[in-house]
Amino acid sequence: MAYLELTGLEKRYRDAVAVADVTLAVEKGESVALLGPSGCGKTTTLRMLAGLAAPDRGRIAVDGTDITDLPAHRRNMGYVFQSYALFPHMSVARNVTFGLEERGVAAKERAARAADALEMVRLKELGHRRPRELSGGQQQRVALARALVIRPSVLLLDESLSNLDAKLRQTMRREIRDLQRTLAITTLFVTHDQVEALAMCDRIAVMNHGRIEQVGTPADVYERPATRFVAGFVGSVNVLPATRDGQGGLAVWGMPIPGIASFAQGDADVFVRPQRMRLVAASENVAPDVPRLKGKVAQSIFIGDQVETVVSGEGGQVTVQSLSGAPTPQAGTEVQVVWKVEDTLIFSREAS
Amino acid sequence: MTSARWPLLAIPAALLLAVIYVWPSLDLFRTAFNETGATGAMIEAFSLKVWRDLLADPFTYELTVNSLWLSVTATSIALCVAYPIALFLFRTDTRFRGLLAVMAIMPMLVSGVVRIFGWLTILGDQGMVNSAARWLGLISTPMRLLFNWTGVTIGLAESILPYMILALLAGFGRLDRALEEAARSLGASPLRTFVRVTLPLSLPAIVLAAGLGFVLSMSAYITPKLLGGGRVFVLATEIFEQATTNANWPMASAMALYTLVLMLAFLGLSSVLSRRLAQ
Amino acid sequence: MSGAGRVLSLIAAISYALILAPIVVVVVMAFSADSFILFPPSGFSFRWFQTLVANAPLMKALGLSVQIALVVTLLSLLVGVPAALALEKGEFRGREALRGFFLAPLLLPTLIIGLALLLFFTPLRLTATLPGIALGHMTVTVPFIIRMMSTAFATLPENVEAAAATLGAPPWRVVWRVTLPLAAPGLIACAALSFLLSFDETVISLFVSGPRASTLPVEMVRYVEGRTDPMIAALSVLLIAGTLAIVIVVERLVGVRRAVGQS
Repeated sequence: MAYLELTGLEKRYRDAVAVADVTLAVEKGESVALLGPSGCGKTTTLRMLAGLAAPDRGRIAVDGTDITDLPAHRRNMGYVFQSYALFPHMSVARNVTFGLEERGVAAKERAARAADALEMVRLKELGHRRPRELSGGQQQRVALARALVIRPSVLLLDESLSNLDAKLRQTMRREIRDLQRTLAITTLFVTHDQVEALAMCDRIAVMNHGRIEQVGTPADVYERPATRFVAGFVGSVNVLPATRDGQGGLAVWGMPIPGIASFAQGDADVFVRPQRMRLVAASENVAPDVPRLKGKVAQSIFIGDQVETVVSGEGGQVTVQSLSGAPTPQAGTEVQVVWKVEDTLIFSREAS
Repeated sequence: MTSARWPLLAIPAALLLAVIYVWPSLDLFRTAFNETGATGAMIEAFSLKVWRDLLADPFTYELTVNSLWLSVTATSIALCVAYPIALFLFRTDTRFRGLLAVMAIMPMLVSGVVRIFGWLTILGDQGMVNSAARWLGLISTPMRLLFNWTGVTIGLAESILPYMILALLAGFGRLDRALEEAARSLGASPLRTFVRVTLPLSLPAIVLAAGLGFVLSMSAYITPKLLGGGRVFVLATEIFEQATTNANWPMASAMALYTLVLMLAFLGLSSVLSRRLAQ
Repeated sequence: MSGAGRVLSLIAAISYALILAPIVVVVVMAFSADSFILFPPSGFSFRWFQTLVANAPLMKALGLSVQIALVVTLLSLLVGVPAALALEKGEFRGREALRGFFLAPLLLPTLIIGLALLLFFTPLRLTATLPGIALGHMTVTVPFIIRMMSTAFATLPENVEAAAATLGAPPWRVVWRVTLPLAAPGLIACAALSFLLSFDETVISLFVSGPRASTLPVEMVRYVEGRTDPMIAALSVLLIAGTLAIVIVVERLVGVRRAVGQS
């Protein structure tokens, strides 16, 4: 049995379904990201875990104990809010000792543990300050120290990095990940930022419309997305409407896509990531078992260490991403776009 | 969840208001159907006698007309003063905005009797207005501005002003500066911009504020009493007379309910109108 | 051109003059040396302040009014603040109905509340007593406090109370350590305004006061009805100064407009 288990969680607000049916198991010491677009129910899931919202159905268990009906203050979970939610009327040190005071920890031990926690987040000197006198990144660290000092059974992070600027976010990502690993603390964090999810967790649970669409390692989710939504949400992707050829195979832009085992009925789209595509000259001979498209270069966009080349063909456009530095073909040049058979993803087209 | 216990905190307040508000209100309602005996003592009954007396008395209609007329004029005057102040407060970008807002609603916080005394000083025979007019040679005998409808109307208009300013400010939300600027950029003069853009957009707020001013005027007692000097009769003063001097509680209660119905009718009308205009 | 514009500013200035005229005039009058209302006064003196201090009924009423306002404020906070907490923190059926019930008295004119209280208190012999007048004032202050404190509790920083709960604080500890300290400015402003509301309350007091006990506004009304000399102006100056002090405190803490406005 897993350390943290969510089973069939459901939450409605009046008529709107926030969380439809969430089941998830997290191992001890593991870090799992709840990734999804805004409104997918990820924050509601986190709040139910912390006891800040009551589920309408389902159960939550930590270490084999059912805590579904336990009030928030008896759950022993560390929660880091998106807005940090530091107590503005208390000093940083007091913020950190708050949870210890509520647990009746003796003053001496309190001070020692708070000092440790503040040192851990490299804010040892700032204990006497008020939260508003700190920068965003420092406030974030205080919130983290405050949540960790109570030695929570589970650490919950709600979009904790989204209020920081891009550079700081990168640093904090690494810091939080390191802390999480060193303390081996079971962590669940909510984010809409796929880079954050990929960088900070052992496994990702991708959520959409109140449900988990796929749970897996970052590589799993990226390489073998289970649904169209996951394929589109994690990483960028070219969506190519496919037509059926006579023999039950699929064709894109009139070119048969090789290496595809027979596909079920209905319309389908072929998904290929731009980074997995390659441009080759129109004249080059491509082996028949390599998937390819033919078209003209529409434009090239330089985005730093990468170049995006948009290729137009008879069925639309695809974007190919390649390392910058190499010469890029001029607009108007006839080219072929090729990729490996194993990089081809196929999803049936939804009724909608 | 322990949240089930939160409602318990509301019990003391609920009980208190039940005793000092709900029960007396019901009592008032019940009293309006009692009778007054020949000796003036109240007789427990369930009759419409008081209502018949009330509605058959021509004095009731005189009072009603007086009250309505006073409320309408006071509200109109107050609106003319409140509107520019509210618009000014809504638009100004001076750093004294907070102070100016406080000044605008200061009369609301100062005791009504104090302000009435101010009007006695301004409007009296030897008050500010008459002194100034005499000094300018405009008049030789003092104008009668007090203890008549003029004084009451002015005093009442001033006492409802702050409430109307607040109501207008609350209703100005839809007033977008960009729309006025657009009108100006299209070549409209400031006056035409005001008439064609600003005024129509703030009409719902005006109607709502007017409704509030009207209700406050209808139930005002002290201003008509003190500035009217016993010569101005409205429903509010009569209710007080009946309740205290005459100790005719059934009549006072019936008249209070009658006034309340009039007020509710007007309030309903203004909120319906305001919602219509807002669409 | 930004801001209010010149024409509007001018009109607003004139309107301000009208609003503040009675208050300014009263202040000047207070220092009049005349025996009756004459404006501008023919001379200035402090004689009306001396007369005021020597006026026993008014001084007694002033004492009673302060006493009543203090009692009313304290009791209203005691029942009003928990009710506001219940409205904002609890999620229970009928919550909105309860809110409507609590705010209803604010909609009824004090003229009618006063009459209702007169009918109710007379058989109970509560008229012209301190408890009677205090209870009467509470029909105004309790709903006012509930409205103002609900707003104060509803506008606390996001999730701070939730954070306290996740850190192990039970609900009452959250209220004690987080909610109330954060709402403290609103609480003080609320107390100050409800003191003013009770102290200035006139209509309800007129109904339920009597010779045995009457408040300052009631005595002032009686005085103005009978005589017109500048003594009331002297008293008014003291009241205006007191009000101003309270208003400044409230403005510093929460902003008067937010405090008195229809939230």
